[in-house]
Amino acid sequence: MVDFLDVCERASKGPMMPQRDFDLKVFIPTLRRVLEKYNIKWEKREVINTDDRLADRVFEAAIEFYEGVGTYVTDTERVIKFSREEILDGIREAPKEVYFGEGADRYVMRGNLPDTNELVHCHVGSGTETSIEYALRLVEAYARIKKGKTLSVPIVNMVRHVRTASGSPAEVLAGIRCLQIAREGCRLAGRPGLAISSMISSCTSGGTTIAATAPQFGGRPSDGWLIAPTSELKIDYSELMKVPYLMSWGANIGQEQGPVLGGYAGGPEGLAVVNTAYAFHGVLVARADYHITYPIHMTYVCSSVPEVLWAVSVSIQGIGRNMRVPYYSLLYAAAGAATKMFFYEALANILTLVSSGAGVEDPHPGKAKIKDGATPIDSEYSCELVHALKGITRKEANRIIDRVIPKYIDRIADPPNGETVDQCYDLDRLKPKPHFEKLYYDGVVKELKTDFGIELYKN
Amino acid sequence: MNEKIKDQLKNAIIGGNTEVLLKNIDKIIRSKKEDPLKIIQDAMIPAIRNVGDMFGRGEIFLPEMLMAAETFQSGMKVIEPKLIDSGRRIEKIGKVVFGTVLNDIHEIGKNIVITLMRTHGFEVYDIGANVSPITFVEKAKDVGADIIAMSALMTTTMTYQKDVIDYLREEGERDKYIILVGGGPVDNEWAEKIGADGTSDTAPGAVELAERLILERKREAR
Repeated sequence: MVDFLDVCERASKGPMMPQRDFDLKVFIPTLRRVLEKYNIKWEKREVINTDDRLADRVFEAAIEFYEGVGTYVTDTERVIKFSREEILDGIREAPKEVYFGEGADRYVMRGNLPDTNELVHCHVGSGTETSIEYALRLVEAYARIKKGKTLSVPIVNMVRHVRTASGSPAEVLAGIRCLQIAREGCRLAGRPGLAISSMISSCTSGGTTIAATAPQFGGRPSDGWLIAPTSELKIDYSELMKVPYLMSWGANIGQEQGPVLGGYAGGPEGLAVVNTAYAFHGVLVARADYHITYPIHMTYVCSSVPEVLWAVSVSIQGIGRNMRVPYYSLLYAAAGAATKMFFYEALANILTLVSSGAGVEDPHPGKAKIKDGATPIDSEYSCELVHALKGITRKEANRIIDRVIPKYIDRIADPPNGETVDQCYDLDRLKPKPHFEKLYYDGVVKELKTDFGIELYKN
Repeated sequence: MNEKIKDQLKNAIIGGNTEVLLKNIDKIIRSKKEDPLKIIQDAMIPAIRNVGDMFGRGEIFLPEMLMAAETFQSGMKVIEPKLIDSGRRIEKIGKVVFGTVLNDIHEIGKNIVITLMRTHGFEVYDIGANVSPITFVEKAKDVGADIIAMSALMTTTMTYQKDVIDYLREEGERDKYIILVGGGPVDNEWAEKIGADGTSDTAPGAVELAERLILERKREAR
């Protein structure tokens, strides 16, 4: 695979162009060309793609697209370009498994095929903004969900009375605090070796992340450390500088991306190709050991609309069939926590992921926009569903999803806000408050069994 | 204006076909039968507004809107000098200084709203990403802006939106500008808390808000 130092050199010596030209003259025309050449079309007959040949064509189109486009570096205004051979090398040599955690909590994550009989990866927790007084209890509650094999830590943006700002010294303090809370919460749950694979969401710049990850504060190479581009296929030096640091530490690197339907990628077909191309960017530029995606719809800022679900399904199927890298997805729900609509959206999202062969991070309520707006029940539901749906085929999943989507789609533009965690969850007893318990067990869990034949809490 | 020609101009803009648009404009100008202002008012502006509306309804996406906007701008570059020669100009709804705040390099949301604002007749100064608070204010003063619009994608960068407003207050210039804030984590509660004039979850909503606030300000000024 192309050497990382060559990538650094290309970042400073590659073709130079204004960002607008990259978007308008390179990205958009190349995408349009490959969509036409490979005849990528969503016929709207099914939400979850069942056509393997189409998934493979999306993958092929993405190779040609990424060869033509590359990754734009915003600091140098240059493009890191790769030849087709280099991309193919990257695909061949990409890590096919990643080891998370330590001791009894050590876990290996692998890529899967669509219609797999394997249990896909379960990730718990939420990287949403959280009040410091709730953070430790929440981590403990998430870590107690035994089916979860990796964990996200809430974002803490306050250090005593000071609100942290990106790149500021206070952000380093918030990052260190976040790590300490994470480790302490896992220890309290009896899972001290559990890997935190969204590290560190309280830090948003390369410098502050590197400062806060120093091992004396509790960070481990067996955690997962994310490298984030900006939409679409752009990266800056602040983010890129994390890569050589993490490589030299021997730490697990995760490529994360949130391509936007309706943005530069255009419609669902473009989103599918761009989402796939991020896997190549991830391996070659971010040097990823694993991958996470969270595509959203530009207007509804969620993932549970059919066009996003289709794009997610076809792209991860293509990646699974042709690359088989460790891959999971975080899909955003429009509805807030503790609402029936949230659970329907989560069901549609998880049906898509499990049947397509991707791991699952619990869908986040309220577009992950509401402070304290995520609950441990979201994670528990997600893990239970992943286990209950193990082995489901795409055809079977489509039959269910066709009945689920009508239950929420009319409210997608104006979803209920739901409740914050302190309103619906008892953070002392680590269980839902009575009204939420009733909604969840008597409403959601029962309905799943009676209406859809999906039984949770079987084992 | 001849309906057939008008349709040709409109279709060229909607389809993002710069070559066809410029060829038709050239033909019209050479014939000297049409007032250049009519070309803009009767064909080009309705077409680009239509593009904005189609985007708002989800019928087209950003690539199509960007291409149409580029085509529109190419046409304007040819026609505007003719207008200036005859001592006229196109009235803009208002001037907007738009950027992504300090330490935030996310631009897609900003770029979508800017493109949509331009289709609705705003003159927008795009000052890019990672913009310091004082740069927002200095640029607004320089161009005589009506609106300062700030985008932020992260909870740790939206705090810089507040810094711009605080600085304007310190300078005694807060009331001179309409302040709009937006981005992933931004909601009405945040906008209200920091003293912004408004926010919207969607790009079409942001443009509607800007139009409404400009109109209100103009009414108050009368």
